[in-house]
Amino acid sequence: MKIALREVTKRYGTTTAVDRVSLDIGDGELFTLLGPSGCGKTTLLRMLAGFAAVDGGEIRFGDRRVDRLPPYERNIGMVFQNYALWPHMTVRGNVTYGLRLRKLTAAEIARRLAGGLAKVNLSGLEDRYPGQLSGGQQQRVALARALVLNPDILLLDEPLSNLDAKIRVQVRGEIRALQRDLGITTVYVTHDQEEALSLSDRVAVMREGRVQQVAAPKALYERPANRFVADFVGTNNFIPGVVRERADGHAIVETPLGRVRTGPGDVALGGTCVLAVRPENVALDGAGDNRVEGRIRLAAYLGNTLRYDVETVGGLVLKVDVGDPWRHELLPAGHGVCVTFPAAATLVLRDD
Amino acid sequence: MKSDGTLAAAPARRVMATALPALGVALLWAFLAVFLVYPLLRVFYDAFSNEAGRLTLENFVAFAGDAFYRRSLWNSLLLGLGTVAATSILGIAIALLLVRYDFPGRQLFGYLTLIPIISPPLVGVLGFTFIMGKAGTVNILLEDWLGLAKPINFVYGIHGVLLVETLHLFPMITLNVVDALSRIDPSLEEAAESVGSRGWRKLCTITLPLTTPGYVAGALLVFIWTFSDFATPLVLGVHDLLASQAYLNIVQFVDRRLFRMGLVISALMVALAIVFLIAARRYVAIKDYSSLSYSRVARRRLGPLGAAGAVTFLSAVMAFSFVPYLGVALASVGRGWSMTPFPVRYTGLFFERVIVETPKYIVNSFLYSALAVVLCIVIGVPIAWILARTRLPGRDTLDGLNTLILAVPGTAIGIAYIRAFHTELPWLGIPLTSLWIILPIVLAVRRLPYTVRGSYASLLLVHRSMEEAAASVGARGLRSFGDVTLPLIWRGVLVGALFSFMTSLQEASAVLFLSLGGWETIPVGIFAFYIAGSANEAAALGVILIAVAAVSVLVINRLAGTRMGGMFG
Repeated sequence: MKIALREVTKRYGTTTAVDRVSLDIGDGELFTLLGPSGCGKTTLLRMLAGFAAVDGGEIRFGDRRVDRLPPYERNIGMVFQNYALWPHMTVRGNVTYGLRLRKLTAAEIARRLAGGLAKVNLSGLEDRYPGQLSGGQQQRVALARALVLNPDILLLDEPLSNLDAKIRVQVRGEIRALQRDLGITTVYVTHDQEEALSLSDRVAVMREGRVQQVAAPKALYERPANRFVADFVGTNNFIPGVVRERADGHAIVETPLGRVRTGPGDVALGGTCVLAVRPENVALDGAGDNRVEGRIRLAAYLGNTLRYDVETVGGLVLKVDVGDPWRHELLPAGHGVCVTFPAAATLVLRDD
Repeated sequence: MKSDGTLAAAPARRVMATALPALGVALLWAFLAVFLVYPLLRVFYDAFSNEAGRLTLENFVAFAGDAFYRRSLWNSLLLGLGTVAATSILGIAIALLLVRYDFPGRQLFGYLTLIPIISPPLVGVLGFTFIMGKAGTVNILLEDWLGLAKPINFVYGIHGVLLVETLHLFPMITLNVVDALSRIDPSLEEAAESVGSRGWRKLCTITLPLTTPGYVAGALLVFIWTFSDFATPLVLGVHDLLASQAYLNIVQFVDRRLFRMGLVISALMVALAIVFLIAARRYVAIKDYSSLSYSRVARRRLGPLGAAGAVTFLSAVMAFSFVPYLGVALASVGRGWSMTPFPVRYTGLFFERVIVETPKYIVNSFLYSALAVVLCIVIGVPIAWILARTRLPGRDTLDGLNTLILAVPGTAIGIAYIRAFHTELPWLGIPLTSLWIILPIVLAVRRLPYTVRGSYASLLLVHRSMEEAAASVGARGLRSFGDVTLPLIWRGVLVGALFSFMTSLQEASAVLFLSLGGWETIPVGIFAFYIAGSANEAAALGVILIAVAAVSVLVINRLAGTRMGGMFG
């Protein structure tokens, strides 16, 4: 089932929570709404579900316009951030509640219950109450409850935010595998960029009610559309500058670090811009198109990487990742280093 | 470096630091053991033994063999269940309207639901008889206008008891359900909607079941209250109820057999309260529905028709709740009020009589209640602290005893005290029942839970780390309690204490058993005046009681907001 949003808007008093959002989500796609709290991602999801009224624009599921329909007529399955399992019902009661409302036969209900619980690996826990389950199990019950109704669209509102880090990664994988098997169109809301990158087909980054960029995870990380996206998704070094030369394939930008050779960009000659370089693309004493002298100010050892804060001549601090700390001798603070980064990994972004 | 003096003093101080709290805890337990556990056990012992002191079931056999008692038991159970049903329908409907819908005057109605609580039931029933009695305003008007030959019996009889109890007790349900409703996480209902549940079905399968823990607590109190109230039925001329029989049997003091029947009934009441309490605790324990919810289900604005319906319904209920106030107020200043819809002349004579001529009612009430509240605070705050902050052995028992007090009817406590403290005290040579101090004590025991709950709730809000932070910068023991905890909890303590005070003033049942000449409180005065036929004096005392209660409720509301529901759970 495809989803199409056209100029969808939501206002609360004078603030606009969602501002003319237009999106096309493909059939079977896992589409993520990513952004900081207050960016409108949850409001947008609740408009898809029908819990928040649409103030402007339209929403279509397939060919059907749904933005005036109540939630129960949209054929959606929703998983809530706190799971919203009914505490007075058992797992069986929770999962089969919607089926019972649809007056299915007892045999059919039993069949769907068994199938639903099997999908999420919870068979055998039918008679437990939510309070007797672990967080991960509760999460799966919520998922099973949403799926047994065979919804056209699955909506997930930060489903992993209440889980421990380890379990989060595990359940994340399970959700992704299940979604692929079922081929169900899924909209996933999160503020965790790692989660978004790891399980999405495409991601929409939102800020202050507006969509900043829609892209596949790799494109989002490597080609962020603006400074906000570059900053919110992963880590970046930002260097302000003015475009001095433009040629095919590269540009020269005047910065506090001197003239920096960059990748192509769409900022006009003489325009102010901001350069973005990922820490993993900056090297110590290596080869690169751009070289800057600096001193180690801080080292943070993370096990699989090592991050240095290097203070450069202009007082600008660059983050530098050493990807292979096993073969690297830790440098003391104050140590003089030479920092290099390639032009191709240096993005020219409009300053916003 | 410490000086020699402090070094020498240190062990002594350490002994004091552990001995004093231990002594305090021991005193708390001793108080509860003597004034709560012992009297209740004594009632059971008496119910299960004969005149010779031998253990026997013959009292219960005699009880079960008496058709009149069997009918009384049956009537009492029916009345209790009927009142629970009626208060539930009324209370839940009002709670749903107040929490889930928006209509003109919603907030005002929210306050007005507290009105029935302000008037003690004894006063309420008086007011009803003035307005709805056989010679009351309504019947007189009906006779004048419609030429009714015979007055309609609105209140005298068991249906009247049901009416009066329902109108007095429905706020217990409303407050508890309002509290529970506003704590339901909206996503629980949204999840129901997303799978296709709405309207009545959502209400019945999701919303109301989620309120059951709060509701059950309220419903139990309503049942126990109705089951053990004897003043209301007696005023309305209903004698074939267990509570009425218990009172009549105990206060006659002549026939030993009847007296023992009173004890049996009292034991039955306590047993019922305990069984209910355990059942409710089991039920609520397996159903912990509390969730950390940061948002609330949005209020739905009612259309003009719905709003009109809601306002009409609530106005009707409130008008009914207002009947006793009108009746008591008119009777307290009216003269020559017979066979006329309203009094013919107005006078301050009755107030003069009960305030100036015999000030003992007011003086006694305030003295006993004030002493009771002091006791409540001295005992209740430490209990709350033990419950909230320590892992002392016996905490659960302490908590259980505290809740038990809420469930055990005043009638049973009063009877238990008569039995338990009728023996002469060792040095004084007279029994405790001959000393007026027994009244503040029984009031303190009866109203202790409110103070404990008020303090406990606010102690839970003061995170332990706040005290630890004070300790980390050098505040020791009681110092951190005084400097950090107390300033943060005094409001809750005060609310609980005020509630204890207000309900102490209103306490009729236990005090009626124990009060001797010269110790009369306002409720005792009301009962005595009314039974003696001086209804106007009773009404004047009732007005005073209502006025004090109204002021207390206003202050409590100011301090605590409208969430009084927790007090009754």
